[in-house]
Amino acid sequence: MSSETIRIQRRSDGVDIEATLLDGMAPQDFVVVGNEWAAERSMVMQELLKSAVPRNQWPQSLHWDWRRKAPELTLLEASGFGVICERQWQGVMLTKTASYTARLDLDKGKPLVYIDFLEVAPWNWIIPEIDRAGRFRALGSVLFWRAVKQSEEEGFRGRVGLHALPQAEPFYEKACGMTSLGRDVAKQDLLYMELSGQQAAKLLKKGKTQ
Amino acid sequence: MAAKRTMTLNLTDAEMIALEELSERKDLSKTAVLRQALRLYQMVDARIERGDKLFFEDESKAKAEVVVL
Repeated sequence: MSSETIRIQRRSDGVDIEATLLDGMAPQDFVVVGNEWAAERSMVMQELLKSAVPRNQWPQSLHWDWRRKAPELTLLEASGFGVICERQWQGVMLTKTASYTARLDLDKGKPLVYIDFLEVAPWNWIIPEIDRAGRFRALGSVLFWRAVKQSEEEGFRGRVGLHALPQAEPFYEKACGMTSLGRDVAKQDLLYMELSGQQAAKLLKKGKTQ
Repeated sequence: MAAKRTMTLNLTDAEMIALEELSERKDLSKTAVLRQALRLYQMVDARIERGDKLFFEDESKAKAEVVVL
């Protein structure tokens, strides 16, 4: 596992806090993440139920369980990345390098880094309906930036692809600059989005948190 | 990235031509093509080992099963 020191902003006072961005997470790390986040997920669900928030407004990754994704990390094509701050996993990502290829016309068939799952810790979610403001900001951007960097390191010129949950579509389109390539019936009708090499170069120039 | 080890690979002319063509077409170094091939082979093998099947699908959506040994 290798790591680099980064800074992430605490929402409550706007102060930048030192954090660690790690790559090469092991299956056991995903188990730890799953265990650490399970109680908070359960708490969020209780609050949503108590406040009678309609189900279609619940966080769409509420049911995810990183413990079930742990075996994926035994494959050569899979990589796990995470951000640790205040001795807790604040955000985690699983990427793949062989299962998918680029769909944008210019890059069609060329390899890319596919973001299989990217999630920030439940205590970082913003859910106004239950007065949750999130502890740290921009973790999604940091992890997305790391995927682009991985693509560059692999010789894929920064190309990244993913299927976005509907709640995350605006983030990937506006903040990350990805191109939408339509809904994918083979993937629960999720929107498939891609970052070209040119778009990646712009994003890498801006830096981790834009 | 993880530490890497070096090995010598002996290829026939035909294999080298195929590698160079893939390298050109996929916009990858020859090393990266071979690394991708290994990842893909391992992933397909792991899924077949657990009982999954691999299909190629043509434009008409008619499927043909591919057996990977």
